[in-house]
Amino acid sequence: SSTVLSAKEDGPTPSAGSAPKTAPESQEDSAETPKQKLLNLIGNMKVEVSSMKKFQQLRKRETDRQPESQREGLGSGGSALPKAAEDAQRSKSLKRELIEAVSAVASSLPLNKKQTESDLLAQLRRHEETTDKQKKGGTVNIRNVISDMTIKKESPAQRGVRVSNLISLEFEEDGKRIKPEQLGSQSSDPRRYFLSLKVGKRLNIFTKISPDTEKAVTAASSPTIWDLEFAKEIAAVTEQPPRNGFEEMIQWTKEGILWEFPIDNEAGMEDDAEFHEHIFLEKHLEDFPKQGPIRHFMELVICGLSKNPYLTVKQKIEHIEWFRKYFEEKQEFLQGI
Amino acid sequence: MAAAALGWALRAAQQVLPASCTRQVRGYYVDWRMLRDVKRRKLAYEYADERLRINAIRKNTILPKELQEVADKEIAALPRDSCPVRIRNRCVLTSRPRGVKRRWRLSRIVFRHFADHAQMSGVQRAMW
Repeated sequence: SSTVLSAKEDGPTPSAGSAPKTAPESQEDSAETPKQKLLNLIGNMKVEVSSMKKFQQLRKRETDRQPESQREGLGSGGSALPKAAEDAQRSKSLKRELIEAVSAVASSLPLNKKQTESDLLAQLRRHEETTDKQKKGGTVNIRNVISDMTIKKESPAQRGVRVSNLISLEFEEDGKRIKPEQLGSQSSDPRRYFLSLKVGKRLNIFTKISPDTEKAVTAASSPTIWDLEFAKEIAAVTEQPPRNGFEEMIQWTKEGILWEFPIDNEAGMEDDAEFHEHIFLEKHLEDFPKQGPIRHFMELVICGLSKNPYLTVKQKIEHIEWFRKYFEEKQEFLQGI
Repeated sequence: MAAAALGWALRAAQQVLPASCTRQVRGYYVDWRMLRDVKRRKLAYEYADERLRINAIRKNTILPKELQEVADKEIAALPRDSCPVRIRNRCVLTSRPRGVKRRWRLSRIVFRHFADHAQMSGVQRAMW
């Protein structure tokens, strides 16, 4: 019937602006359209209810098909029953609307209705408790927080000291390194803004590393070949092939196949020396004789080295040193000439 | 200076290896001639600086001739494989001593083989 009604509705709408033959028919249909609309709505509602009933019947069949599994879960179910009773007692404090909503939601879900109901009720109860606590102001114990805090007036003269002593770095990990002098001075000095890290209750959040594990950690600093091989094996196993071109390029850059962009012309060149160290090399010629062919020769060598951009300063100095050593060895020979 | 440039070129041309004596061979070079060429290259790299400096003393008009004669004897005393002249640019894959193109370090036959199989980047058969 609904399909027929919908066809009749579609009929008048396209034919509304068309030939006058359909005019009397359209008039009759337009008079019936509001009624038809109401009928359609009611019919749709009925359809919805029937579909819901069908779904519920399906779920009931599913739950009835699982009696054995439910019997296994009777233990939890048995424990759930007294919980349900308790929840029922506590749920009286909750609003009835919430309870009804919970039951509706539980019925709509395909799993165990009772368990879902109890869980939802428990969650609602927790929410209620927290809201009550916050209303009363009992969740945050402000006293415990403020007890360790001390507000002090800041004087401009002590500002430098305060900045330097904001976090006392001598008190690092173990409290055994406490310097009693500093402690006494800090406690006596009323103008210190922040106290040290060791003052106050221990929160015991972090477990303290025993010195044995510390030693074990430091002993691994000199890895053996087997450790290196193991590490390499792990890296080779865990590495994934690159997912896209970008990752491939990243890998190549790490390996050194690809240069780093923007291109650095001095990549790999670590020349820390200034230009004057490259050019003015006469100071290295102090050990040579001031006159004579050797000096002439060495001056030519230095001229050439100053124009050489490929050698480092160290290499140039080594060059000159070699010549110095050579000529020292040949000293006696040279004197014979 | 030409000598400095030559020295640098020599160093740049060789594979960068730390100055170490040639150990027993366990690699797989194509043949023994290639191995000997490798040894010569290593030695030439090691003695490059010394040869350069001694030659600078020798090829000189300023220093006395006696000193240059002594330098001659010194350079002759260096190991024979340390001179770069003995290095032969062999093909890297076949160790062929002739017909080797310097840019690819390959002999003409290998080059042609790879170029025809489109395994040489940017190489194409010439046609004009």
